[in-house]
Amino acid sequence: MAYVALSEAEKTFILHGVEEDFRCDGRSRRDYRPMELETGLVSNASGSARLRLANTDILVGVKTEIDVPNPLTPEFGKLEFFVDCSANATPEFEGRGGSDLAQELILSLQKAYESSLAFDYRTLCLIPGQQCWKLYIDILILECGGNLHDAVSLAAKAALYNTKLPRVTATLLDAGVTDLIISDNPYDCTRVGIDAVPLLVTVCKIGDYCLVDPSAEEEVCSTVSMVVAVSMRNNTGRCGGYKMLRPFITKFLSTAYLSGTHMTGGGSMHRETMLNCIQLGLSIGEQLNSLLVKMLKAEEQRVGPKRPKTVGFLK
Amino acid sequence: MQTLREFTRKTKRGNILKIVREHYLRDDIGCGSDLCQYCMQNEAYQLTSQYEIKSTLFKFPHYIVLDTNVVLDQIDVLEEDVLHNIIVLTTVLNEVKHKCSSIYKRLNELIHDRTRNFYVFVNEHHQDTYADREPDETANDRNDRAIRLAAKWYDTHLQASQESKAFQRTARAVTRVVLLTDDAGNRAKAEAEGILVANAAEYVKSLEDFPLLVDKLSQKSFESEKQALPQYPAHLSMKELLDGLRQKKFLQGNFQASRENYLEGSVNVEQYEQGILIQGRESLNRAVDGDIVAVELLPESEWSAPSEIVLEETNVYADDVPSEERVEDEQDMLQQVQAAPAAERTPTGRIVGIVRRKWRQYCGILQPSLIEDTTRHIFVPADRKIPRIRIETRQADKLQNQRIIVTIDSWPRNSRYPHGHFVRSLGPLGNMATENEVILLEHDVPHCKFSEEVLSFLPKLPWTITPEDYAKRVDLRDLHICSVDPPGCTDIDDALHCRELPNGNLEVGVHIADVTHFIRPGNALDKEAAARGTTVYLVGKRIDMVPELLSSNLCSLVGGVERFAFSCIWEMDKEANVLKKRFHKSVIKSKRAMTYEEAQVLIDDASETSEIAKSLRQLNRLAKILKRRRMDNGALVLASPEIRFQVDSETHEPLDVEAKQMRDTNSMVEEFMLLANITVAQHIAAEFTECAVLRRHPKPPPTNFDPLVKAARYQGFEVETETGLQLAHSLDKCVKADNHYFNTMIRILTTRCMMQAVYFISGSLQKEEYFHYGLAAPIYTHFTSPIRRYSDIMVHRLLAASIGADSTYAQLLERKANEELCNNLNYRHKMAQYAARASVALNTHLFFRGKQEDEEGYVLFVRKNALQVLIPKYGLEGTLYLKSDKDGKDGLERTKSELIFTFNEEDHTQRCGNVVFHSFDPVTVRLSLDSSNVQHEKLVFKLVKPYIKGFSVESDNTAVEATAANSQPPAKKTKKDKKKK
Repeated sequence: MAYVALSEAEKTFILHGVEEDFRCDGRSRRDYRPMELETGLVSNASGSARLRLANTDILVGVKTEIDVPNPLTPEFGKLEFFVDCSANATPEFEGRGGSDLAQELILSLQKAYESSLAFDYRTLCLIPGQQCWKLYIDILILECGGNLHDAVSLAAKAALYNTKLPRVTATLLDAGVTDLIISDNPYDCTRVGIDAVPLLVTVCKIGDYCLVDPSAEEEVCSTVSMVVAVSMRNNTGRCGGYKMLRPFITKFLSTAYLSGTHMTGGGSMHRETMLNCIQLGLSIGEQLNSLLVKMLKAEEQRVGPKRPKTVGFLK
Repeated sequence: MQTLREFTRKTKRGNILKIVREHYLRDDIGCGSDLCQYCMQNEAYQLTSQYEIKSTLFKFPHYIVLDTNVVLDQIDVLEEDVLHNIIVLTTVLNEVKHKCSSIYKRLNELIHDRTRNFYVFVNEHHQDTYADREPDETANDRNDRAIRLAAKWYDTHLQASQESKAFQRTARAVTRVVLLTDDAGNRAKAEAEGILVANAAEYVKSLEDFPLLVDKLSQKSFESEKQALPQYPAHLSMKELLDGLRQKKFLQGNFQASRENYLEGSVNVEQYEQGILIQGRESLNRAVDGDIVAVELLPESEWSAPSEIVLEETNVYADDVPSEERVEDEQDMLQQVQAAPAAERTPTGRIVGIVRRKWRQYCGILQPSLIEDTTRHIFVPADRKIPRIRIETRQADKLQNQRIIVTIDSWPRNSRYPHGHFVRSLGPLGNMATENEVILLEHDVPHCKFSEEVLSFLPKLPWTITPEDYAKRVDLRDLHICSVDPPGCTDIDDALHCRELPNGNLEVGVHIADVTHFIRPGNALDKEAAARGTTVYLVGKRIDMVPELLSSNLCSLVGGVERFAFSCIWEMDKEANVLKKRFHKSVIKSKRAMTYEEAQVLIDDASETSEIAKSLRQLNRLAKILKRRRMDNGALVLASPEIRFQVDSETHEPLDVEAKQMRDTNSMVEEFMLLANITVAQHIAAEFTECAVLRRHPKPPPTNFDPLVKAARYQGFEVETETGLQLAHSLDKCVKADNHYFNTMIRILTTRCMMQAVYFISGSLQKEEYFHYGLAAPIYTHFTSPIRRYSDIMVHRLLAASIGADSTYAQLLERKANEELCNNLNYRHKMAQYAARASVALNTHLFFRGKQEDEEGYVLFVRKNALQVLIPKYGLEGTLYLKSDKDGKDGLERTKSELIFTFNEEDHTQRCGNVVFHSFDPVTVRLSLDSSNVQHEKLVFKLVKPYIKGFSVESDNTAVEATAANSQPPAKKTKKDKKKK
């Protein structure tokens, strides 16, 4: 992890600020820093997004390929994450310096996306058992300003939303072999459903308090933090037989639920604190998600189906 | 300014990729008009006010913007030197390139012709005329929009230029821009956008000064035609076809119409050896010879056999009403065929759609029209595989006795014949030059003059040999080298020598003209030669592969002159066993260029003791040993009737015909050329295992021999076809004392069973497949005639590279490119042979003009309704019809056809009374030229001997009247183009 050198006094200052619910940059413990999000800016990729969260700068590109489904899950498409920690972000990433961090990010994303409830892999399947889409989600860390997990997951979700798969029709050949035909209209595309796609929320424990969206300095002060993967239920009917419990469940879990957790940092956590962390993560994650979806839709509406004029980046 | 173009592609491995290309838009692209005051014009103006087209539709000066469909359909109109000031948009250019490469080439030629004022406007890169694809817009719609956008831009742009005071003072009419499109949708949109627009037909008709241009309009649909009932089943849509092909419901193949029967054809499909038979007008469903079609196989119960009937279409009228007569005629034929025995049935199918049309331009003549003053006419193509074509022309009277070129535009369901339009006239019928042109065009022989660029690569005259040349080459000028060729040969590419070595062995050398010294790889001269592939010999005319300076002068090994050669030299013992061999480039000085006859005289004349005579005798002796050895290996002696015409040097009309004679010396030269070819083949195949140019002659499949074996069996001979050796031996045994021509005929039949020999690249086949069946050689190539064959040039280059005599270059070793070259050579070679044969046929016709001769011939085949007769003297083959067609044109024939010939399937004989015709029987026939149809002259065969009353013509000349009232059915046309071996 990118390392920021802090003196004891500085650490104490940060700690006290957290205790007072008044962090160095003036935020409360539940506040996020402002974000800048732009989608569709890499024309060569099928989908892309760039997210800037304070100093953290993430670029995500989604590339598509045709693949054969895994025989165990013949109706599922495939998803693969790749994280590149650019040496531009911090000199420590030079050489193999960033590979541990990259691996950690990949793992937590994979875990969060693992369940078919969190990501509907069926939509990526073209012909069960024969052909499916494989999405390569390439994440490039351009600058490192803390809270990478959150930023990466937000950018990945935005990029998936932006992804356009060319519409493919299949014709049957002899012996069950199929052939794919692509539509010649570049605007004739299918989209990836992102309703359930999880977000990662890092809940950072500093002193006795938990906070979200730690800055790089705050991360140094923290002994342990928990990455909470929050997925959305797009169908409340899933509660099935527990009709009596439904008001309670929907209230308690709302539409957000946990799709994975992951601890970072050297310290340990009390059971109570952990539950609190998860609770906090879920509620923050839900807000974050609704805001993200709202903004993405707003952007799409403004730009329309044509390629946007890129602003601010790679112009 | 920059924009991006995105599209998705499917790769070969099935992956789907998004591809993004950067696309730059500029503001400095000129409009090319001399009226413009704004644009940066970088060169001479293409659009000038010097030309003004007078149109009743647009009565002011105008430029024309073409839509893609106009270019594709009306290229013939554009090629006429009428329309000027035409703006070709890159959108259109790209679409044309994508849709039809031949039209693209023609359009390009027009664009490069500066006198035609075609201006290419790069609208795709102009910032004001670039059209980005909108969502929910098809590619086609986008292109149409781009064209309209450019047309509109041009119009406003020019109008702005002409608003200036200076221009108004000149008091000239304002130049506008007119869009020509045949697409109704595009037209409507253009009108709505305020663009001046017209369709091609309207516009061409509105041209006051060029009324004849209308003839060249492509006739997609004849106007003012009452909608006739559909006469053909509908073709399936492209999508249905592709789906069907993918699901193997249909088969795709190349359609070949039958020459003999216009209601029959076959489709060559990969899985089927013989191809799928197509019978009947509805099954043929408007396929034209050469088209790539989709076929549906019929259930096995409906399969049929190829009819053995020769059927030609009659009763062709331009009115296009299906006559009962014709229907009857067609049904009759089908019934006959369906009764075919089950054993003969082959896979039969029907054509459900056309994958790709391979329509080209066709030579032919107009059929005289029965109605006067009509513009609709029927065009009869020279190639009998092509159906009649309906055209509209106003100059029918002028074209009546001319050979003309017509192209097909469409073939709608409700029309019996395809619709086409007149392209150009070649010249008067029967004129030697016209007819030769027809032959060359029909056989796709490139015969235009060599371009300036090609000629620029010729060596400058006077050409001399420099000291460096001598240094690089072995000096063989003192050797007694001589050449032996047919009389009148000017492109001498081989010469020979033989001398005794001190050790008692013989040194034999074959010297081949060193063409590659002059033709360097990759230049225009080389490319032209590669495209032509071979020199084409017509009677009295030669179409050179390389310019004449090379073919008849610098490369030709004429006597007494120093020339460059590529020598292949062997050391042999007296028994013609090769002890050593070597190749090198050399300088030679042929002592004498001889004809076969002169050489023969020299050999036979014992008093002659010159060096040349001695070496010729040695060569002749060695050749005989070589030949015997080859025969023992199983090489075949094949025969095909070949004749030579003696042509009048002034009129180019044939004076006399003679069959080619074979002398010892012919065979002598041939043996050494074979030896040289084989030696070189072994060498280059060893040096270049992947990319050597070789020639192979595949063993024919056993079924090919069926007609031969059957024919021989009727005569009591058994032909074994297991191996080449057995075949050669059994052919030798087929001798009949009473019929000395029998053996030759058997050999002629054998020739027809053979496969075509082809060039190939060594890496593309297994070693075993290199075999040359006819020569019984395990490996073979062509090395000895580089002046007239491009394959030899390729071999020369390989050989030169392998011995270090010449530099290599990248393309030399490129297998793919060489393979394509070989395919082209094979095609050109085949076409050259066909053209040569067609030329012989043409001259035969000319020879028989106004003559009538009784000649001895032999029955080659017995068919159901005819005898196939061969006349050895003229190498001529023709059909003697025995039964009259049911639709005989005049009642006379029908009443007199009570003479009954019975065809015996068992032993293939025809019997009439007590006269029986077997295969190979000698007959005497009377040959005459039937000129009653000026358009299509045909040789008529009439039986003289054996005499059948009421059928044969009287053998004495008093029976001229009898000939007129003869019951002879209309012998349709001679079968001159014998099938290829």
